[in-house]
Amino acid sequence: MIRSDLLAKASGATEFGTDLAEPEMLWAALVLAPIAHGRIRRVDLSKARAMPGVHAVVGAEETARLLGPGAGDPERPLFPSTEVRYRGQPLAAVAASSLAEARAAARAVQMEFDPLPIAGDLEEVVAEWPGSEAGSDPRMIAHVRASNGDLGEEFRLAEFVHAETYRTNGVAQVALEPHACVAKVDVGRWFVRTSTQTPFGIREDASSILGVPEASLVVEGSWVGGGFGGKTAALVEPYALLLSAATGRWVRLSLSYTEEFVLGRSTLPAVVRLESAVRAGRVTARRVRLLLDTGASLPGRDFATGYAIGFLLGPYRSDAFDIEGYAVRTNKPPFGPHRAPFAPQCSFVADSHMDSIARRLGVDPVAFRLAHVWRAGDVTPLGQAVGPFGLAECLEKAGALLAIWRRELPTADGFGLGVGCGYWSTNAGAGGEALLRLSPNELTIDQGEREIGSGSVVRGLVAVAERVLKIPSDAVRVGYSDTSRAPFDSGVFGSRTVGALGQAVEKAARRLATELGRRLGTSDPATLARDDDQLVAISGAVRRPVRELLTSEELRAGGLEFPGQHAAPPGRIDDSRVGAGTFYPYTDFTGAAHVALVHVDRATGAVRVLRYAAFHDAGVVIDPATFRAQVEGGVAMGLGSALTEETLWGPDGRLLNPSLLDYRIPTLGEVPPIEVHAVPGHPGAGPFGAKGLGEPPIIPVPAAVANAVADATGARVREMPLTPERVARTLNLLASGGTGRG
Amino acid sequence: MGDSELVVNGRATALASVPEDERLLDTLRWRLGLRGTKEGCRSGDCGACVVLVDGRSTLSCLTLTHELPGASVTTIESISEDPVGRVVQDAFVAEGAVQCGYCTPGFVVALTGLLKELPPSAPLPELLDEMQGNLCRCTGYGSIVRAIVRAREATR
Repeated sequence: MIRSDLLAKASGATEFGTDLAEPEMLWAALVLAPIAHGRIRRVDLSKARAMPGVHAVVGAEETARLLGPGAGDPERPLFPSTEVRYRGQPLAAVAASSLAEARAAARAVQMEFDPLPIAGDLEEVVAEWPGSEAGSDPRMIAHVRASNGDLGEEFRLAEFVHAETYRTNGVAQVALEPHACVAKVDVGRWFVRTSTQTPFGIREDASSILGVPEASLVVEGSWVGGGFGGKTAALVEPYALLLSAATGRWVRLSLSYTEEFVLGRSTLPAVVRLESAVRAGRVTARRVRLLLDTGASLPGRDFATGYAIGFLLGPYRSDAFDIEGYAVRTNKPPFGPHRAPFAPQCSFVADSHMDSIARRLGVDPVAFRLAHVWRAGDVTPLGQAVGPFGLAECLEKAGALLAIWRRELPTADGFGLGVGCGYWSTNAGAGGEALLRLSPNELTIDQGEREIGSGSVVRGLVAVAERVLKIPSDAVRVGYSDTSRAPFDSGVFGSRTVGALGQAVEKAARRLATELGRRLGTSDPATLARDDDQLVAISGAVRRPVRELLTSEELRAGGLEFPGQHAAPPGRIDDSRVGAGTFYPYTDFTGAAHVALVHVDRATGAVRVLRYAAFHDAGVVIDPATFRAQVEGGVAMGLGSALTEETLWGPDGRLLNPSLLDYRIPTLGEVPPIEVHAVPGHPGAGPFGAKGLGEPPIIPVPAAVANAVADATGARVREMPLTPERVARTLNLLASGGTGRG
Repeated sequence: MGDSELVVNGRATALASVPEDERLLDTLRWRLGLRGTKEGCRSGDCGACVVLVDGRSTLSCLTLTHELPGASVTTIESISEDPVGRVVQDAFVAEGAVQCGYCTPGFVVALTGLLKELPPSAPLPELLDEMQGNLCRCTGYGSIVRAIVRAREATR
């Protein structure tokens, strides 16, 4: 089945956010803070205003004038008026007749600051690792803690305690399309057309930032040139709207790629300490401490720490545990959600740790995991019930394949094999709605998402309708409209499109099938087939053109309509185990086990991944081609996180590698062939038993690679990415009798 | 600043008052409205902006328009008129080597140029190596490699 959007994309006909243009539009540029932390003494816009082609220059004062005093969210001002909190924070914005003129004027803005100390390095906080009393430390914007069982007793009884410290570094989104939009404010109607994963989310966000009611804001999504989590919150949109309000003209704002690296929402570094009590070949208790750099995020807006800390126990039983995390404020841009926010890093830590314990015990790492892994019917450490869950089966299959590859492994030095595990659940957001409309020759799925590339909208939602109604897929059209007309939906994130919005499509399609069956005079639901260019409804032996089944009123209105809703299921966490902060009770667990075959060059530390296989429980796979494409793409992205991708920050808070030359994502020659296997038999809550798959494929990759490196060399690299320098350093430490054993 | 001219997708195109620092990418996208050529990094690292200049695969973001008087430029918009371009485009669609699609025009144009430039005997690894200048963040390249193999077979 060929996706309906591919030919237009391969012909250059698809209009992305960066391609949007309007007659007589102005071009915008942002003025970014040149320091990471300081009091603002002066932001003088007068020189910029006098530059050729300039139509408007707006800063904090002009914003208050344009929006009204006190409008907008004081915690998230468009431009700060007193203090700069990260290098690259927007301080003013320019609209001009051309991009060159806008950029020239932005450079002409004069700024003076009183510098303040820069908090940039997590290691400074690590040195004096915060205790539980640090909840009131102003450097910590969030504190989460959960525990259960008699930890002291288990540690006392332990045969040994396996203690390790791991570090992870920041990953940038690197959607090839930077953030871009066009906006126009016209008699109280604030309209923006933008490349986003979440049109309704942008409406809510822009409303809060600008202080404009949602009813006055209209967001229309364009095609999206890659999202991965970076296009889920307002970024360029409020500035473009503000500049349009100032000029009365269409305004286009697109970030440069350097700006995209800085402002496009990276993840940031973390340090994790783990201690596991081991007795009789089993982990009996775990203590985990997390320090997560959340950049200039604000208190109350941190989502990542509670998200991450649960994942750090891995998909493994832990009767006794104590997990505690702090979100640390630094003078970096705010932490952002990148594909499975922070789960690949957590899997790297949790699954390297498990692998390391297995090696210390001298037991098979796969069997060791199988002795601990959650199975259907288990309860997670946070008290969530585990439904159908195929991770154990994924692991068994991964282990069997690993044994085959082991026999084929070259005997030369430096080759090794590793397994990585990961789990995920669907974040259903605030739910969503779909509206199906059947006309005599077409079925339209009206909905509020945009296709971001995975195929979850153009193929996933269509496949659901296809399965219910047996309709040929080329008779199904996905309708996109702006937020003033589309049914509400939370957007494309959290692996939720097929798993959550797909349920709304399924419900609507079933209602439609039942109603068509009724109109055919049968008690069975009808299916649809095509006869020439007309759709025909069929139930048993009865068969009539859809045209004859619709009333004249329905024909005039464009078809027979049925809505379907999906509400987020009420997930549950055992509150008695929560000591502080927010945890997320997302449901519908999916699991994956990956196998990597690597070669490590002992002289240089360079790691090459030569073979790779991925086993996924994605519930019932409703479209095999899309399933394969998602897994291949997620694994490749994970290889980048595992081996090369790392945002580097200077002591002055500057991002040192904001380019694709210095921040290396995998190229065509660096990704090995990837075997992709579905492990069926563990249906999820999605349509026909589907589970979300947008995020899971990236999660186990860094762990699989790190465990293979340990297998190849005996060295445990406890910091990702596994750059040649880090691998070589660990090998040298090991050779000189220091730490580093796997 | 001076007047210039190009042959764009087979049509002679006069360009008035071209600043010396105007990039071919901007000439195509904003002067001529041919926005099928994508702007990615704008620094020659991603390959999204590849066009053919006199048949050769070229990064339009690092090419100055005024340095190309009279050159023939082929963009994604006319690639299907070229028999090889058509084959490449069909191969990308058939193999599902397109997800978000932002890198796709660059891949299709670059591969078209290569298949026309390299002798049919050129080994596959050479072709794949030459394609490393085009980055894709969605597909993981598996489907793109399958599309390259398919297009190569179909044009030999």
